[in-house]
Amino acid sequence: MLKVMTYVAVGLLLVGVLAMIMARISPIDAWPALDPGALPAQLVAATPVAFLWLGLLAVIATPIVRVIAAGVAYASGGEWRMVAISIAILAVIIVGVASAVGTEA
Amino acid sequence: MLVGLLMLMGGVAAGAFGSLLGLGGGVLIVPLLTLGFGLPLRDAVGVSLVCVIMTSSAAAGVYLERHVANLRLGMTLELFTALGALIGGSIAFLLDERLLALLFAGLLAYVAATMVRAALRAPAVRTAVARDPLAVPPEVAGVPPEVAGAPPSGLVDPQAGYVVGRFPTGIAGSVGAGVVSALLGIGGGIIKVPLMHLVMGVPLRVATATSNLMIGITAAASAVIYLLRGGIDPYVAGPTVIGVFVGATLGSRLGHRVQVRYLQGMFVVVLGYTAIQMLLRAIG
Repeated sequence: MLKVMTYVAVGLLLVGVLAMIMARISPIDAWPALDPGALPAQLVAATPVAFLWLGLLAVIATPIVRVIAAGVAYASGGEWRMVAISIAILAVIIVGVASAVGTEA
Repeated sequence: MLVGLLMLMGGVAAGAFGSLLGLGGGVLIVPLLTLGFGLPLRDAVGVSLVCVIMTSSAAAGVYLERHVANLRLGMTLELFTALGALIGGSIAFLLDERLLALLFAGLLAYVAATMVRAALRAPAVRTAVARDPLAVPPEVAGVPPEVAGAPPSGLVDPQAGYVVGRFPTGIAGSVGAGVVSALLGIGGGIIKVPLMHLVMGVPLRVATATSNLMIGITAAASAVIYLLRGGIDPYVAGPTVIGVFVGATLGSRLGHRVQVRYLQGMFVVVLGYTAIQMLLRAIG
């Protein structure tokens, strides 16, 4: 599953980069900020940045999914201390997300 | 298009070098983007964190299949590393970029000095560990070659079990590794591998595999903060991350065919030059 996520992420980034080339967008051009609400519409319009954002989100999500998968595996094995550690790692990441969102707001 | 191609090629080189020399790509990616393409340091750090995740993800399957990593130890230390990354990611946007450049110059000098010191200590120790793409060569980990998995000498026996010790120190070091990772866009393996091996008594091969598996989580913990605070440029990250994926994949497959010693010598020169450039950038 994690290998698949990695290849999907690379694939999305590749589509985004190819779309950049076709649209003659340079990496040093000004870039649009991530707007999750606008992402679906950008995808439908096949804008390069939409595929790039999706690919980057997939890359960042992969290790987080790895932690979740580990937690599930430990739970099925009855290793509750490791389940707690997995949950704690996820909690740290969630706190990071909340602090970043709160700061930007 | 030329700029994108150069970024992609830079990513391939960083991914390959990192894979061959047992380092995450951050040590190369950040200077490449700042000194080579003029990116602000903080933006380069954000992109580098994503590259570190890709490096870890690209190789994770191999580590898991070989059952070399100590997942329980890695996950336990990762809790504290992630805490450190949270702290580092939060303060990264408060620090002056010149201070970050100064810290990065210090990191590059430390890595270069470690490699030179280890090479001078024992010029040629070719072991199965050094040729294993999962392993950090002793020269990089700052580990005396005689401890790093050479033929059994009474100091290290890869076949024996081991006891993890000095846990409080390991926890403190892991927090530090997380802070450094978030501030400078590296995976933290350059701190965690010696920490686990030299301080906590974990065999080098296990420490390396464990660290390589965990740096992705460390980087993700701060990459999320950079992403939400507008610190990741998708136009730069796209080609660079693809390049790192290709380079890391190639490096892991070709590692056994490459004379690592020559790469290390070249790497030390590049590190030294880059450290000076980053120092000049810090001085302004």
